[in-house]
Amino acid sequence: MTIQSDLETASPLRPSKSAFWRQAFLDMAAILAWGVLLLQYWLTGKIKLLLHPNYIWLAYSAGFFLIGLTIVKLVQLSLVLKARLRQTNQPFPITAPHLSLFPPTWSSLLLVVIALFGLQFVPQPFSSQMALDRGVTETLTMTRSQPQAFRGATKPENRTLIEWIRLLNVYPEPDAYTGQKVNVEGFAIHLPDIPETYVGIARFVITCCAADAYPVGLPVKLPAGDRSAYKPDQWFRIEGEMITETLADKRQLVINAKTLTPIPTPANPYEF
Amino acid sequence: MTHLNATLTLFFSLLVEAIPFLLIGVLFSSALLFFVDERKLVAAIPKHPLLAALAGSLIGFLFPVCECGNVPVARRLIIQGAPAAMAIGFLLAAPVVNPVVFWATWVAFRDQPEMVFLRIGFSLLIATLIGWVFSSQTDLRPLMQPAVARAMLVPQAARRAHRPSRATSTSSAAGLDSPLLQSGTFFLGQSNQPLQFDGSGQAAAMMVDANLSRPVPERLRLMMDNVIQELRELGGILIIGSAIAAIVQVAVPREMILSLGQGTVSSIVAMMTLAAVVSICSTVDAFFALSFASTFTTGSLLAFLIFGPMIDLKNFALLVTVFRPRAIVYIFVLAGQLTFLVTLLINLYVS
Repeated sequence: MTIQSDLETASPLRPSKSAFWRQAFLDMAAILAWGVLLLQYWLTGKIKLLLHPNYIWLAYSAGFFLIGLTIVKLVQLSLVLKARLRQTNQPFPITAPHLSLFPPTWSSLLLVVIALFGLQFVPQPFSSQMALDRGVTETLTMTRSQPQAFRGATKPENRTLIEWIRLLNVYPEPDAYTGQKVNVEGFAIHLPDIPETYVGIARFVITCCAADAYPVGLPVKLPAGDRSAYKPDQWFRIEGEMITETLADKRQLVINAKTLTPIPTPANPYEF
Repeated sequence: MTHLNATLTLFFSLLVEAIPFLLIGVLFSSALLFFVDERKLVAAIPKHPLLAALAGSLIGFLFPVCECGNVPVARRLIIQGAPAAMAIGFLLAAPVVNPVVFWATWVAFRDQPEMVFLRIGFSLLIATLIGWVFSSQTDLRPLMQPAVARAMLVPQAARRAHRPSRATSTSSAAGLDSPLLQSGTFFLGQSNQPLQFDGSGQAAAMMVDANLSRPVPERLRLMMDNVIQELRELGGILIIGSAIAAIVQVAVPREMILSLGQGTVSSIVAMMTLAAVVSICSTVDAFFALSFASTFTTGSLLAFLIFGPMIDLKNFALLVTVFRPRAIVYIFVLAGQLTFLVTLLINLYVS
């Protein structure tokens, strides 16, 4: 294996000729690939599925920085090359002492491969199955305990799903909301513990990045028929009003839907 | 199929979130290498182990790094001959005791400012105590990965070697043909205090002397190379750590972890486990903890915020580049026990 033999013969401070150029090339490829990946995610909007909007600027700034770093490195390498062409015994620049867990080539290769894969990868919004696995919190206990989330001034029909949930969290009595108009968007979810004539409407909430996404949702009483017409993961705009019902032995707030309009998956499926 | 996509989405979201912070950390660490004489910093550290640990814990305020960035800085401090107490104190406290995290936690818990102060205070306390414990180990090398141990200065040598050598820059014409390359002879020639060599390792320490006397453009070039090297290495490990964190998150239903979360003791244990699994960056973990604020005890949220930055799956992968597993286990156990103890006190007597 040539990689192995090169690593063995290269001195820790001054790499052999082929190792120097291979490592330099791989490093540049890795940095460039990650710079391009971050910018591609930003420009194509993929990043909205991954990060909270507050942190997107960090990602694309890092992308610009990495691409800038590649350019500077490229200029510097071309100077090395020029110097070597003029004077063949010009030594390669030394490198800082390097401590590594695996051979540097492996790390670079891993970075390049993952970045190339990432460029192809199209993140999907988390599915309703994922929401079920994570446990949709109908009673919505897992929300932020921020009293300022209580927005009494908001008209009921303007509240988003997460605003309803925060409201419930602050004042959990379902009767308090009976008759209020509802107009929310979310994806359908088939909750196993409620009857077939109900469907769940849910959204994922993220606070920083997709890694901490958690689902919140409310049950919806369908105007007619059963939920088989409302496939899981399809996004709907639901209009109706709030009622209180006892589902799964629990008195809870339910949306009594008048209309369920299928809508395309929003570019940013999360709520904050 | 959806599970695969979910795992990959989590994986890339962790990476995309962490890479900017890794970059900030690596930039600070490299700037430190080429523009700050760490041994002045190390020399300014009080001799008493407890004070050294406290000082090390507070250095985070000068270098706002999160837990992806503190490992390279700690590694360098150790190589420069920093006392164990200081290095360990820095390693454990820097991700929390720094202005960026202070600000983020403040924003997240605006309603409960005590969370900010308790988080920072307890992190400082735990880091100082563990640093103090580690100060009983005067020679850290047996606890280090062999590559780090070889690069380390022996404690006495570190102090003697602390003398910037002007001669280096004048004698090396182009700055490229560095006398560093003839390690042994060079050193004996320009200083008559031969260091205790045990291999090629002292290169790191000698580099710094030489580095600080290089012209600025040369230092900038070396700094860039160092940034690339550390990005390459820590990036590779970050990828592995994020992959593990993403797989575990999808494979273990989070409900299961959360169902433990109501009791005084079990909530703390659950939150500490969650902190270790989720591997979320300390700069943003306050927002994550906030989403559990209504179901979990204050103590357990504090446990999450204190323990997570010290030890988690991703961080573990980074620590392996510096310490032998034995040392990581010591740190892990001590940090876990102390976090558990202080947050239990909060649960029992305060909230």
